[in-house]
Amino acid sequence: MKRVNSTPRPGWKAFAQSVGFNFHTFDGEPYWDESAYYQFSLQQIEQDLEDPTEELHQMALDLVDDIVSNEQKLRLLGIPQRFWDAVLASWRSKEPHLYGRMDFSYNGTGPAKLLELNYDTPTSLYETGFFQWVWLEDQLMRGELPQGADQFNSLQDKLQQAFSELNLPQPFYFASVTESIEDKGTVDYLMDIALQAGLNCRYIQLEQLGDIDGQLVDLEGFPVQGLFKLYPWEFMLQEEFASTILTSQTQFIEPLWKCLLSNKGILPLLWQKYQGHPNLLPAFFDDGSSLQNGWVRKPLLSREGANIELLTSDGKTLKQDGPYNDSGYIRQALAPLPKFADSYTLIGSWVVADSAAGICIREDNSMITKDSSRFLPHIILD
Amino acid sequence: MTTTKTFKRSKTARLIMMVPAAGMVLAGCGEKPVEVQVFNSPDECAAYYNPPAECEAAFDDAKALHPLVAPRYASRQECETDFGTGQCETAPVLAANNTVPAEQTQQSQQSSGFFMPMMMGFMAGQMLNRSGMAGAPQQQATANRSPVPNQPLYKSRDDRSTFRTATNTAVASQSGTTSIRPSAVQPKPAAMARRGGFGAQAAQRNVSSNGG
Repeated sequence: MKRVNSTPRPGWKAFAQSVGFNFHTFDGEPYWDESAYYQFSLQQIEQDLEDPTEELHQMALDLVDDIVSNEQKLRLLGIPQRFWDAVLASWRSKEPHLYGRMDFSYNGTGPAKLLELNYDTPTSLYETGFFQWVWLEDQLMRGELPQGADQFNSLQDKLQQAFSELNLPQPFYFASVTESIEDKGTVDYLMDIALQAGLNCRYIQLEQLGDIDGQLVDLEGFPVQGLFKLYPWEFMLQEEFASTILTSQTQFIEPLWKCLLSNKGILPLLWQKYQGHPNLLPAFFDDGSSLQNGWVRKPLLSREGANIELLTSDGKTLKQDGPYNDSGYIRQALAPLPKFADSYTLIGSWVVADSAAGICIREDNSMITKDSSRFLPHIILD
Repeated sequence: MTTTKTFKRSKTARLIMMVPAAGMVLAGCGEKPVEVQVFNSPDECAAYYNPPAECEAAFDDAKALHPLVAPRYASRQECETDFGTGQCETAPVLAANNTVPAEQTQQSQQSSGFFMPMMMGFMAGQMLNRSGMAGAPQQQATANRSPVPNQPLYKSRDDRSTFRTATNTAVASQSGTTSIRPSAVQPKPAAMARRGGFGAQAAQRNVSSNGG
């Protein structure tokens, strides 16, 4: 694994705009960054990332079975009691799931360490599955990359396959929050793939979803029988339409049971069950005591690095403020992100259905990866 | 070196909707337009060489549907803002939350306190072909024979020449045959949906994305 400087393709921004990548720059700072790429060996990809991803995924699924009927664990994860039966039912009836992403600290040697699971509303999907893929093809065509360079990125293929096999109700609706162009970009990409898989797809703004007598309906009053929602379950469970979730005849992607896996409480539970697993970091529910050197405190529910407190092994504190300070916390042993050039590097590893489906790389100037962290492409070359 | 290589990346990654040049694909969703007829009255319908009995039947269907699907307003004034002075009437109480047609019961007497526009015409989707009067006058039987139900049409205050469905889809600017996508003209219950029940947390936390 190494970082290689590279010349950005001339005119890539205009190209990005033309293919719907409207968030390639974030608050004036580059988000998509092709001034460098990461290079892995095939062995690093397959043995250190792909295989552990599938293994950890299975471990997480096994854990769901332990949680759904265990009051104490449901309580630890902060799942509201009125939804326990619905969570259990969604798991028992095997409501299918589509995708997820796990984040790793990995420097090219030794086991990748699982930092967290993003199993409900993972984003940076389009950048990974499409834009990164096109970058590789372009650079190969231009002779800027050695022939034979590959990429661990079967994301779009696998998503399309999943959409064609999931047997979803149609029309199938996709919803995201009106304000977020990034979320809309992610949903547009998923709809595009679903369309290619032959689905009849419709977009609806999340805020426009209606309720008639406990049934979710679209703008015209038609029942919404299938819904992809790029909106966290823990939000939905505390909003005005929370009770609609219990009564509406709607198949959700991700399904309700995914609220267990998008919760960072899953990390201590994984550690309890699989203590010592090479890809896991010691993790515990937070007891409120002060943080020791070499530990990280994370909210049960948060995204984009928000509300994380990190104490390095030599006692330096890093704190990221954010809007997710209203849930419990966990603490996890620190696996410092490796530093390449002047940046800290995080690897996101995608899961579609139950298969590992590729990686994405984020760089930040700090050890806490955030929504503003740069996205860099990668190649596989031996 | 002749190795058959298995790639770790997608075979193709194309986009059909996000890329504007190919955006057309989405527009029709593969749905075939069908021909329907729109008229101001049953008499006009008959004047277009349609069997009068069928014109009456289509008109009756539309009239029965009218109180169920017409847009509802809390006041006459709001209604007239959209449909013009003197163009609105009181809306009856809806039977339960029944979906579309069912049998029309004697519900029209009791006012719901809401107002709705008057019906200004009708769409005949189930008219028999013009090959004359087929035996059975009301081929109502299999409701899914035609993908477009007979239904009421309306005209807005600022556009008196355009026929619109109850959900404000413009369908024609003159009487006679027009072509329509069936999905665009399916009558919906006018029952009011509550909306805005999701999204409050995102607004409150003011995050750029709800993913991670």
